[in-house]
Amino acid sequence: MLVVVPGFYALRTTRFWLPWLLLASYVFYGWWNPWYLILVAYSTVLDYLLVALMDHSRGERVRDPFLRGAFLISVSLLTMLIGAALVLPATLRPTLLAFALLVLLMAVGSLLASRRMWLFISLFNNLALLLFFKYARFVAENLNQVLAALGTSMQLPDPSGAMPYHLEYVLPAGISFFTFQSMSYTIDFYLGNVQRERHFLRFATFVCFFPQLMAGPIERARHLLPQFHRAPPFRLQNLTDGFSLFLVGLFKKLALANYLSLYVERIYDYPGAHDATALTLATIAFAWQIFFDFSGYTDMARGVAKMVGFNLILNFNNPYLSTGLGEFWSRWHISLSSWFRDYVYIPLGGSRGGTFLTYRNLFITFLVSGIWHGAAWTFAIWGILHALGVMLTRELERSRVYRERIPAIVKQAWVFAYVCFAWIFFRATSLDDALLIVGRIFSAAWGSPQVPALMVALVAAVWLYQYLYESRLRPLLRLGSVRVALAVCMMLYLCLFSSGGGTFIYFQF
Amino acid sequence: MQPSSSSLAASPSRSAHPVPAEPPFGVNEMRLNARQWLAVLAIVATFVSTAPRLWGSFEKFDTGPDYRIPYQLSKDYWLYERWLSKLSDPQQIAVIGDSVVWGEYVSRHGTLCHFLGAESARPDRFINYAMNGLFPLALEGLVEHYASSLNHRKVILHSNVLWMSSPQADLSEDKEQVFNHSRLVPQFRPHIAPYRADAAERLSVLVERHVGFFAWVGHLQNAYFDQQSIPTWTLEAARQASPSGLAPQGRGMLRRFLALEVPGESENDPQRGPQSPRHRAWTASGGEPAHFDWVALDKSVQWAAFQRLVQLLRQRGNDVLVIVGPFNEHMIAPEQRPMFHGLRDGIAAWLASERVPSIVPPTLASPLYADASHPLTEGYAELARQISQDQTFRNWLAR
Repeated sequence: MLVVVPGFYALRTTRFWLPWLLLASYVFYGWWNPWYLILVAYSTVLDYLLVALMDHSRGERVRDPFLRGAFLISVSLLTMLIGAALVLPATLRPTLLAFALLVLLMAVGSLLASRRMWLFISLFNNLALLLFFKYARFVAENLNQVLAALGTSMQLPDPSGAMPYHLEYVLPAGISFFTFQSMSYTIDFYLGNVQRERHFLRFATFVCFFPQLMAGPIERARHLLPQFHRAPPFRLQNLTDGFSLFLVGLFKKLALANYLSLYVERIYDYPGAHDATALTLATIAFAWQIFFDFSGYTDMARGVAKMVGFNLILNFNNPYLSTGLGEFWSRWHISLSSWFRDYVYIPLGGSRGGTFLTYRNLFITFLVSGIWHGAAWTFAIWGILHALGVMLTRELERSRVYRERIPAIVKQAWVFAYVCFAWIFFRATSLDDALLIVGRIFSAAWGSPQVPALMVALVAAVWLYQYLYESRLRPLLRLGSVRVALAVCMMLYLCLFSSGGGTFIYFQF
Repeated sequence: MQPSSSSLAASPSRSAHPVPAEPPFGVNEMRLNARQWLAVLAIVATFVSTAPRLWGSFEKFDTGPDYRIPYQLSKDYWLYERWLSKLSDPQQIAVIGDSVVWGEYVSRHGTLCHFLGAESARPDRFINYAMNGLFPLALEGLVEHYASSLNHRKVILHSNVLWMSSPQADLSEDKEQVFNHSRLVPQFRPHIAPYRADAAERLSVLVERHVGFFAWVGHLQNAYFDQQSIPTWTLEAARQASPSGLAPQGRGMLRRFLALEVPGESENDPQRGPQSPRHRAWTASGGEPAHFDWVALDKSVQWAAFQRLVQLLRQRGNDVLVIVGPFNEHMIAPEQRPMFHGLRDGIAAWLASERVPSIVPPTLASPLYADASHPLTEGYAELARQISQDQTFRNWLAR
């Protein structure tokens, strides 16, 4: 931030501002692991090309020279890749064959000149990347268990064997975010919702814009791409707003999320050793930890982007004040939930086909959303629990008594309790642990909570702030003196109490 | 994930790259303008610059003739700096070095400084400004960043050959190591191969060195919160607390905090002093001469740091006397002793070439050592006697 922001302003009036942003994004990403850069660059180049090919694939332009060139290049590449797979070391074979399959699909696409085919290739490629890096081991392990249960000796190999030159098989940070962002562009172009972006650097910057590359918000092309068409003018307010957002995000992460994580880890790492009080409070603490961690990252990302004049979308809207599960999902990780709504739920039919189909679509969408978060059954159950919660809330909302007689605070409390219950499955390291925690919460004795008063006071203060923000007393929070006092308190707290860095939870997704 | 009115309102436009509407700022009112930011920065800057000084003027910090920074405050650089600033008598001599000067196995009344004071008949003449766990690279950092009060004074600097006894001790091998006082070593240049902190950590160290406030926060953590960050401490205190109230740990902290008193060293430290089971000759636990993988002076990272430290002290107007060793030669395998002598003589030769007075005391009797470099109480007494009788030392004291 200390380098990129001044550098950007120094270059803002030149034609280097966009390359500077792209360079900063690549350096930022490559800092974690330079090998991952290949993946981002590959995904960017391919989706850029595929959208260009889609643009040329219209019924009357089957003989387009661009498509003919693409066909010839694809066939040549295919031949070279197959040849290379035969000649080069065996460690490269899986990668080369995967590329060969992709190139084959592209050759077919060039012949068919079908927009749908190009969309299919883009989805296939992005999902294949995700499947391989995120889910392959999980799928292989589960299938192997099934095969073993069936009594066969056949076993699927570990996916790490497919890595070229035996590179470490690890989940590239942020892969779920940049692939989703890139996919949304190709889908939106296919649907005619966005124009094709011809400027490669602009598109590449859109895919990996550094503030939101690692953990979102997942931007849409129609929102972010137009902002890269011209360097934003310098406005002092951009800087002050950016710093305001950044400070709040930093406070959420360092002062709150990291603090809560100490307590949560202590309890969740040994669930069998703790009583119902500790497990219940640790679950509530985790609910706040993940909120502070993730929304803190988003605030910082939005703050840094704002400092250089770009606007990222709002990703969290005080979700724990929701009075229903559906509302919760319109306030929590908004960019992801709207992504699933637009690209999974609505294509499945949305709420257009009656109650059963609506609930089926909701179920599938939440299940996919759960699995998006990680390759484990606990995430799938977490998704299913939310699907059931949304259905339940919808049914309850049909009742006039529930709608009008139950106070909002009671609804908020039950929604929060339900969300906390689901978080158990999200946080637990295994399904066994999750079930153990649930079992102990409802059966073990209640004892000393072992929660620091400072921790409780901090969370209560944040909840109170959010509550006031959504109440009639909101103007109080707008007072300059209140803002200054809170900012001073946050900065001093960070200086005095901060316990250092730590990675963000959502980096793993 | 359900279609909402907002999603319908945001239905996409087909016009070419329409400029999107600005999204909401956030879901809080923490949107400060430039004037408010200036006010915030002014208040924070005032607090940051005055709080440590105010704290220092209220906090009780009692030091006697044999005071040394207690073991548990070994990383309290703010306290070290504060203690140095108490040095007012020009006759007093600061003795700096690692745990050999500090006295790893002995009580504070059994250190080199104590016996040097006794020899000179003035108990508070030689002040133990060593810290446990230091080594030349860290000592260099400590002096450079936290010891400006030492300027223009007589200083005795101890040189411990132990830090050249292996590439690991020398911090010259290219393998990650976790070591004491890493916040004192050079963060970027010269490069310390086994030190693998990330850039953010290194930058935070640089900030900490230049903004005294952060060293003061470190002091609070060291002196009152059991060397833990305050959040970590609260968690531990809550874990130990009973339903009826705070555990002894929490009560102790509260008492100290309310009394505003820097914790001192226990007179009955079970780890140190003649009564301690650790206070015994190295041979008593079956120690035998060993082979050392000595690092040549021209390749030693620690020796280079020591040389820079000597230069730094001289640049700051200090009158420096260096005491080299005495290393426990009995612990070195006989065939390796010439190598050790070469190293020790090389140190003395460099000091002579730089016109820095130095003393290379003879090796003490074997039972007077606790390990390779630390003497026992009687060893310190003997060493102090030898140093006091040394003509170089007398001349240096007299000038």
